[in-house]
Amino acid sequence: MGLWARLRRRLRPPRRLSFTREGRLIVIMSIGVGFAAINTGNNLLYLLLGWLLSFIIASGILSEMTLKRLVVERRPPPRVFAGEPFLMEVVIQNAKENRASFSIEVEDLVGTTPIDKRCYFLKIPAAKSQRTSYRHTFARRGPYTLTGYRLATKFPFALFRKSRDVDAPIEILVYPARVHVPRPIPKTTSRGETTANRLGRRGEFFGLRESRIGDDRRDVHWRSSARTGRLLVREYEDELARRVVIGVDNALPEAVRDAVTDGALTAAAETQVSAVERAISVAASLAASYLEVGWTVELCARGLHVPAGVGRIHEAKIARALALLPYVSDEVAFAALPPRIESVLVTPRDVAAANRPTATTVMDV
Amino acid sequence: MRFAIAHKTATYLMVGFAFLAMVTGGGVSAPISFGALLLLVASWWWEPPRIKFEKWTWVWTVASVFALAYAILTSVLTGDFLGVGAQFLTWLTVTKAFNRRAARDWQQLYLLAFLMLVAGSVLNPELTYGLCFLGFVVSSTWAMTLFHLRREMEDNLLVKHAADRASERVEVRRILDSRRIVGGRFFLGTGLLSFGVFLAAAALFLALPRVGIGFFLKSRGGLTLAGFSDGVQLGGHGVIKNDPTVVMRVEIDSKYGGRKAPQIHWRGVAFDRYANGNWTRSKRAPFNVQSEESGPTRDRRFLAFEGRPNCSSPEAASDPLRQERCRRGSSWPLISVPEIEALAGTLVRQDIWLDPLDSDVLFGAGLPRIVEYPHVVRKRNYSEERNDEIRLAHGSTVHYSVWSDLSTPPPEKLRAATGPLPKGYEVYLQLDEPGKPPEITQRTRAKALEITRGLTNHYDKAVAIQTWLTTNLSYTLVLEDPKDQEPVDFFLFDRKKGHCEYFASAFAILARAADIPVRQVNGFLGGEWNEYKGYVAVRAGDAHSWDEVYFPGAGWVTFDPTPSANVDVLGRGGDGLRARLGRMLDTLRFQWSKWVIDYDLASQLQLFKSIGGAIKSAALRVKAAVVATKDAAIEFWPIGGALGAGGVLVVLLRRRRRVDGLETRAPGRRRVRSTVAEVFDQVAKALAKAGFVRETAITPRELATRMAARQDPGAPQVGELVELYYAAEWGGRRDPAAEVRASTLAREIRDAIDAARRAKRA
Repeated sequence: MGLWARLRRRLRPPRRLSFTREGRLIVIMSIGVGFAAINTGNNLLYLLLGWLLSFIIASGILSEMTLKRLVVERRPPPRVFAGEPFLMEVVIQNAKENRASFSIEVEDLVGTTPIDKRCYFLKIPAAKSQRTSYRHTFARRGPYTLTGYRLATKFPFALFRKSRDVDAPIEILVYPARVHVPRPIPKTTSRGETTANRLGRRGEFFGLRESRIGDDRRDVHWRSSARTGRLLVREYEDELARRVVIGVDNALPEAVRDAVTDGALTAAAETQVSAVERAISVAASLAASYLEVGWTVELCARGLHVPAGVGRIHEAKIARALALLPYVSDEVAFAALPPRIESVLVTPRDVAAANRPTATTVMDV
Repeated sequence: MRFAIAHKTATYLMVGFAFLAMVTGGGVSAPISFGALLLLVASWWWEPPRIKFEKWTWVWTVASVFALAYAILTSVLTGDFLGVGAQFLTWLTVTKAFNRRAARDWQQLYLLAFLMLVAGSVLNPELTYGLCFLGFVVSSTWAMTLFHLRREMEDNLLVKHAADRASERVEVRRILDSRRIVGGRFFLGTGLLSFGVFLAAAALFLALPRVGIGFFLKSRGGLTLAGFSDGVQLGGHGVIKNDPTVVMRVEIDSKYGGRKAPQIHWRGVAFDRYANGNWTRSKRAPFNVQSEESGPTRDRRFLAFEGRPNCSSPEAASDPLRQERCRRGSSWPLISVPEIEALAGTLVRQDIWLDPLDSDVLFGAGLPRIVEYPHVVRKRNYSEERNDEIRLAHGSTVHYSVWSDLSTPPPEKLRAATGPLPKGYEVYLQLDEPGKPPEITQRTRAKALEITRGLTNHYDKAVAIQTWLTTNLSYTLVLEDPKDQEPVDFFLFDRKKGHCEYFASAFAILARAADIPVRQVNGFLGGEWNEYKGYVAVRAGDAHSWDEVYFPGAGWVTFDPTPSANVDVLGRGGDGLRARLGRMLDTLRFQWSKWVIDYDLASQLQLFKSIGGAIKSAALRVKAAVVATKDAAIEFWPIGGALGAGGVLVVLLRRRRRVDGLETRAPGRRRVRSTVAEVFDQVAKALAKAGFVRETAITPRELATRMAARQDPGAPQVGELVELYYAAEWGGRRDPAAEVRASTLAREIRDAIDAARRAKRA
């Protein structure tokens, strides 16, 4: 934690207090009764004033006791996609042995600003937990940090709202938005045939590659593996027929990249950024679509290469890589797309960029 | 108890206590109070689905308009804005109780209840206000807490979210009918909280500085007692009622208190002029002569009774009060403050709490010499005081202190008391009105001479007249109208029985006929000794008349010619249970009046002084104990050193064990299973139901390993849960995050088992 963050944390008040409408009314009434008591010397008005003041004090004490020893755990779903609502589960545990907590509000914080969703717990019995959730949508992909949460209560008399902020950062990685995009018609085959030969051991030996989850153990080339120290398997031509390389161009002009960093996008820059985002979303959706039908998918972008793989774990790897894919200059190299393998290059419309590789299919989105 | 019912009950209790606090003082008429109470009770059932509020809105609106018009008209005509305002407040509360629709209506009920409490603070200074206030504090804590929870529920804060569809509002009705939200523990907890609020309120009440300016003082109509206003009328017929209302409470030296203490005359008003059967204060009656000393908390007046003011002294020229006295012709000198202080030490002090009467007279035992009362910021308007009366305008219970002379000069001194009367004292010999035919009959005058024949001094003559009256006439509370006959003549010669006013009047007339200067005094005699707090409770029925005779050089001496058969010592009231309960209740009333109603700056300073003194003496005791301990430690240093070292060792060992996370348990106490263990037990039951039974010889970890090997559904979660279980049960650490995680794992295990079961069926 940097010096400034540490200093800010120290200077942050342990509790926040804001008066409600009823609280302001009680204060005004107290002032009025106090004035009347001093004016008239009526001791019963002093008694009422004492009650009003002790009422306010008791409210402060009880709200403090209510907020003590509460622990909140936020559980986002395993995958969050940009533009899609998700449920953030919030579980609150009351660690107090003998006292329930009433009327608790929980808000997630980004920095010191709460997001606009509030979870409410009417009662959390002693030594028990309660759970609820809220819906939220992240507009853009990328990593998000919820720095902590705010616990608040107006219990017992709703005279004021007392809150305390808790530092409990959680990272949420928002994957690119899912879009419906049809798989392009394959334009490459092995040995020129439209369908691969599926008899025997799935075609001719093509080469060795690193083992992936799901590979048959009988394909392991033990000698090469012992020599290299890595588990290598034989790769056959048949597999190539169901293999695709997806490329996405994440290049943006320098001015636009600077504007993104500064948060000062012009309309034209916004268009270009949206185009790149759309391209990334299409690439992610395509990858998911291919993997769903059992294809092997490899991902390339400027400054990014995800080796080929299959299965849901690989899908998550690709989605994660695309979620974190930065905007770069078009001078950053693209990995060359292999010639005999189906490749789809997704390019953002309205963004001119150099050094794009050749692909069997180019989708300009 | 159902949540909605609990909230409604607490609210009605709160409103009920506030209502009773306002009306039990008599500020609102009995029919209106009773009617309002009935309506408030009836409003309990006035709600949906029984009633549709919309159907009756116009009725309440019209009625409220009429009520407002009535209130305005009545207050303008009667001038009693506060009383009428309280009635209208009652109406508003009843209306709101019949229209409880939304949260705002409940809030308005609370505000109205508070306003009733404020109105009650002016209309009802009795003990009932204190009792209702206590009930209000408790019930308002419940009501406001429950209202807050109810409003949070109804403000759409209870919502069920779903990722794939719009959020749904949770049905609040079901929660309002739930018995699980609040229970006995909740009410006990909030009850204790309200008790704490009450104590804090009491502490703040005692501590808040008292600086009453007194602009909007509300005067209460006092008890009307005949004989304490501007005159006394003899005659009339009927039966005098013995009113048991306590009008005055007096703390006095224990020498004069107790159940067998002698009777005390509490002097009030004094009359000098008799005409047409009436005793009044004449315009020629001497004014009081006094010194005044104004202090920050108390003002004090010294009543001279003797002497003349020094009108030629330099102080007289600069003292407006003395100038006034000199202009009016009073002839008594003033004495200095140190002399007053010295005199106070020789007199009997009384602290008196006087309820408001229909008169501003103050009472004191015997012959009051010094009176002290609270200082006020605004200048007091003093009433005209003659015949050594003490007057102080007060609209509520007033607390003042009096130093009185209870001694009686010895008979020898009184027999020898001769000399001219001071200027202005001729009024005390008045029998006839100048320029009018004599009222006192000849036979009355002759009777005076007959009784005093052969006696040479005023003392013996006064004693003789007193003796004659007490032995020849009898006491009765039944009055007979003398019609046109002179009342004293009727009493002495025809009726031959009467009450104390007749006896006192007859004594005064007979004494004046014998050329003895006399004035009639009205006040109280005796009272009831309250053994619980050591004070005298003087009742309205203790009202009495007697006389004061002036002896030159000796001053005024009390003579009471009423036969003593009907008066009592301070033990009046008996020792039965009812009498004791009555005195106990009066004690509560007195303490309420003393420590709440009449708590002023002087009382506050005295209280702080006492607290300061108590703290100081406690500190001194602690210091002495510390010094004694230190001395003992030095003397027995080997034992002390060993004990100290042993104590330090124990503390260090305990801290070390706590740091290591080991639980320290008192031996013999059964270990309580942790939350994680309870979760694990539930999961074990679910696994057993699903066919994954753990035999007795198999440990949980072995079961988890077997399940992982077989790739049973939920195996990874079971493994993680087992580790958490071991850490919680035998690791000695309690980790709230682990408990949360355990609950999550339990849910995932159940989901996995259910999924496997469904897949199997499919």
